[in-house]
Amino acid sequence: MNPDKRSAVELMIRYGFLVLMAGLIVFFGSTAEGFLTPFSAVFILQSVAITGILALGVTATLVVGGFDLSIGAVATSALMLSSYVMVVWELSAFWAVLLCLLMGAAVGLVNGLLIVKMKVPDLLATLGMMFLLVGAQRIPTEGRSISTGMSLPDGSTANGTFSEGFLMLGRHRLDLILPDLLPLSVVFLIAIAVAVWVFLELTRHGRLMYAIGSNAQAAALAGANVNRYKVVAYMISGVLASVGGILLAARLGRGDVASGNNLLLDAVAAALIGFAVLGASKPNAFGTAIGALFVGILLQGLTMLNAPYYTQDFIKGAVLVVALVFTFALSARGSRGRG
Amino acid sequence: MISRRVFTILMGAAAMLPGLALAADMPAPFDNPGAVKIALVRYLSTGDFFQAYLSGVEKQSAAIGVDLRVFDSRQDAALQADMVDQAIALGVQGIIVQHGLTESMQAAVQRAVDAGIKVVAFDVNVENPAVPQVEQSDRDLARLALEQAVVDNGEAWTAGYVYVPGIAPLDRRDETWKEVKAKYAGINQVAEFGTLDNPIANSVANQARSVLSANPNITVMFAPYDEFAKGVKIAVDEAGMSGQVSIYSADVSTSDIAAMREAGSAWKATAATNPAVVGEVSVRALAMLLAGEDPGHNVIVPPTLITQAMLTELDIKSMEELGAKLPAFAHADVAVPAWMPLPAR
Amino acid sequence: MTEATIKLVGLRKAFGKNQVLRGVDLDLAPGQVTVLMGANGAGKSTLVKVLCGVHAADAGTVTLAGVAFAPASPSAALRAGVVTVHQNINDGVVPDLDVASNLLLDHLADGAGAFLNDRKMRARAREIAAAVGLEVDVARPVAGLALADRQLVSIARAMAQEPQLLILDEPTSSLSATEAERLFALIERLRAQGVAILYISHRMSDIRRLADRIVSMRDGAISGRFEGQPLDYSGAVRAMLGHEITEVDITIPTPGAPVLEARGLVLRPGARPFDLTAPQNEVIAITGLVGSGKTALAEVLFGLAQPTAGSLRLDDAPYTPRTATEAVAAGVFLCPKDRLINAVVADFDITRNLTLPFLRRHSRAHFLRRASENATATRMVGEMGVVCQSPADGILTLSGGNQQKVMVARWMAEASRLLILDEPFQGVDIQARRDICAKIRATAQTRATIVFVAELDEALEVADRILVLSEHSIVGAHRNENIDVAAIMAEVVDAAPETTRELA
Repeated sequence: MNPDKRSAVELMIRYGFLVLMAGLIVFFGSTAEGFLTPFSAVFILQSVAITGILALGVTATLVVGGFDLSIGAVATSALMLSSYVMVVWELSAFWAVLLCLLMGAAVGLVNGLLIVKMKVPDLLATLGMMFLLVGAQRIPTEGRSISTGMSLPDGSTANGTFSEGFLMLGRHRLDLILPDLLPLSVVFLIAIAVAVWVFLELTRHGRLMYAIGSNAQAAALAGANVNRYKVVAYMISGVLASVGGILLAARLGRGDVASGNNLLLDAVAAALIGFAVLGASKPNAFGTAIGALFVGILLQGLTMLNAPYYTQDFIKGAVLVVALVFTFALSARGSRGRG
Repeated sequence: MISRRVFTILMGAAAMLPGLALAADMPAPFDNPGAVKIALVRYLSTGDFFQAYLSGVEKQSAAIGVDLRVFDSRQDAALQADMVDQAIALGVQGIIVQHGLTESMQAAVQRAVDAGIKVVAFDVNVENPAVPQVEQSDRDLARLALEQAVVDNGEAWTAGYVYVPGIAPLDRRDETWKEVKAKYAGINQVAEFGTLDNPIANSVANQARSVLSANPNITVMFAPYDEFAKGVKIAVDEAGMSGQVSIYSADVSTSDIAAMREAGSAWKATAATNPAVVGEVSVRALAMLLAGEDPGHNVIVPPTLITQAMLTELDIKSMEELGAKLPAFAHADVAVPAWMPLPAR
Repeated sequence: MTEATIKLVGLRKAFGKNQVLRGVDLDLAPGQVTVLMGANGAGKSTLVKVLCGVHAADAGTVTLAGVAFAPASPSAALRAGVVTVHQNINDGVVPDLDVASNLLLDHLADGAGAFLNDRKMRARAREIAAAVGLEVDVARPVAGLALADRQLVSIARAMAQEPQLLILDEPTSSLSATEAERLFALIERLRAQGVAILYISHRMSDIRRLADRIVSMRDGAISGRFEGQPLDYSGAVRAMLGHEITEVDITIPTPGAPVLEARGLVLRPGARPFDLTAPQNEVIAITGLVGSGKTALAEVLFGLAQPTAGSLRLDDAPYTPRTATEAVAAGVFLCPKDRLINAVVADFDITRNLTLPFLRRHSRAHFLRRASENATATRMVGEMGVVCQSPADGILTLSGGNQQKVMVARWMAEASRLLILDEPFQGVDIQARRDICAKIRATAQTRATIVFVAELDEALEVADRILVLSEHSIVGAHRNENIDVAAIMAEVVDAAPETTRELA
């Protein structure tokens, strides 16, 4: 390969996706009225806040070479649990949040132990956990959604309410330049993205997790406690999924029965698209955030142009395939050229 | 000698099983309580609607004194057809088919009919003249909600519409929407969107946000499914447009009631059939068939209009209160021959 | 001598620039067991892969019973009558299928009609099994069989093709003595039937038992042929290991205080106990054939495995590591063999590979300090002479020798009490080997150093003292001064193999 051609390929790998995203913004900006406004930008962020947070959790497991299929189910379990805590047990928002986070951590711990101690392959362990949670979250209410005034299996009526403080988590908006511009959930997304990025890129723990994902045997022989880091990755994933579920509950204001499979798929798509951002070719927090944003921009623009939902799914899939081609075919060729 | 205590227990037992007390007054085969076995073969089961439908079926079955078996195929069309055969093998006298696909259920239902079993179908067309079709009238649902929209907003408005094609009840509601648009030239639909990605309300909210920012002049949102309406309401609230936009929907649940009753809520009205009542009607139609009576080929359960004003006025906070305070919602006078025992209220 | 079944002339094969076979000439006669010996990288596996149709030769000819033989695929080789039983037993069988299906697998893979007739299959399978003396229920799944039976299934499957040449690649490496005995009996029967057998092994006991003839291979060519009883076993080993000893100039320093002391160490049940002392300021090379226990000893010292018996002391305190983490914390570092599997983190650049074990030193309150990492990387890249554009280059952009330098540098970046290097010269060019060797010796004063090497000349190049390991026990110790190479060779090949004697 001649040098000009190679550097062109390298540029494409590195910036191709960001250029694509900029192109998309220009395209929607010129065709969809109202797309290029601060409110529109915030809508996009808000619509990706929940899947983005879940995607960051998946990223943590991808970094150690694992995978977590249970995040969607953890999120909807947190949705049901927080509703149950407030509506049925009539406890405060504090308890709802705390119990959800504990539930997420516990699910992550069990996933991790199944994988490192019981040697269950990651996809199978988390798949099992997914089914388990989808079922478990429905047991206390016999499959009904949770809302104030619902009748319980024992015949009594639930009188608790979603507290204002809890609903604020998903609904409150801060003044930023314009009044009522920035939703709290977006603040959480940004804070979590930064925190995960800092953890993975700047701390020694993140470094070891990447080493484990690339060559677990080498990391173990370098003295890293591979099992412990793997469990930690699944716990991060579980906790972040439960945060996503809490925000979902705060936005919906009720405990909706849902499998969370779409949350899982969107989150995984965002994390995988993230591989292609800046030619990273590996799971990374920045890429995941950009990947989630990319999907958000696409869906916002297409909806504004009245595109039906199936074309949106189609285009989401196409973007994912293109991103995976960027990641695997192009960058593999790039490194082979050097080796 | 029968002691007073035993007598009390017997009385108590009789009171708890209204079917037993009335058994002697009912036509064959119901004069022998517990002798009749029926099966409910379900395609859809998760969600409040289906839970409530099941409770209606259970209550009416208990009232008549039949032995109910529930088969749950969880959206597996092939399994649902197999379950009809299982029910036949089990020796049931009657089957209620709840949802499903015409293609997979038609043959299975025909086998049941051939085996001398009485069948009624709810919300699935099994294309069989011997099988009464129980329906909640989706056209009436849409019509009631849209008539209210015209009453509230006049005959000319800018509308957004939530719709996912290919879902039978939504398609039927869509037909009415098209008729209404044709009737009132002043209705201008500027956006159509919708998705069934779950949680549905969350996904629809994301879409509705985009639609509202692209079309800030929308004044009426027609969202003929309560999950859609819930999503649209979230978006309207987030966009701070609840003073401007009115939402009209179909279906109702306890949490929908709460959402409609919120101060300044954009969700103005919904039209709904009580799923529990539909369940009761399904059992009653089957019972009539078993007793040799004809419930008619189309057994239609009429919907009720529920407006924000009614809920506030009557202080209705839950489905139970809705049933108690809006009698039209608690009971449908459909498939009720004189001998038919009704569930206790 | 009978006419050769298979005749190889001038066989050559290269992978990229790497010449693996440099003109192999070999005849294999029917009814004869030819043992092929060769160190790692000598080209044995490549030769086998050319014969069994996995690779095509670049040059040279192979004739099978007088006909040109150039199989395009493993199944073509099978049809021509060359069958191969691979080292890893499970490569030769499908554990989830029953014995009958396994025995007829080649037949199935050839596409013998879409439908299977169980009864016919089993009858045919029983015939095949009987031919090799395999007595198992052919309806049993292979996963339920003992290792030896699996191996017999694998061989029986091969024999169903009525081969002219049978290649066995280290077939006894996972068998017990009695299991191996069954295999030998079968091989003798096949020999009597006139099959030509190419038997690849390092186990002297196997070789003594079976060999009609030994062929040694070194650096991609045949380096010795030994025929006629009694066979010259030491000659064969010498031909395989080579004897061009590099001229090295080793000044042996005075050893310091003992750092590591092992007493009564038993590496596996039945092995002879031995003692080992590694003093400060001494480089010890431990050599031995493949399977002599080098890996087992390295694993025990680094906490990856526990010894069957014996005790370890480090700096006069008990040393009982249970994990690599504990060993590193105690100051015992291991640079493992097979760097691509055990050491290289492919996604990382040179710096990150270098600092991997000691991230704690490069961080403050959990946060990594790039400056500290970069300083260490720049220093080590300079000291080791790693050829690269910058320490930020991806590790896989480096040549094998430079990758290995980075892996060694990883463990030299911090002070250790005992540094263990397992095959540090594996897959590196001569210049990198000299550089690594010099670096090991130059830094040895502050610690004890143990280097495991399979090649004797590598031991001579790096060590102050050379220990010979055989049958999981130390059988000889030599100061690296006017050394008697022949004596070491004799120990490598011959030394007191107790478990072997039982067999022989």
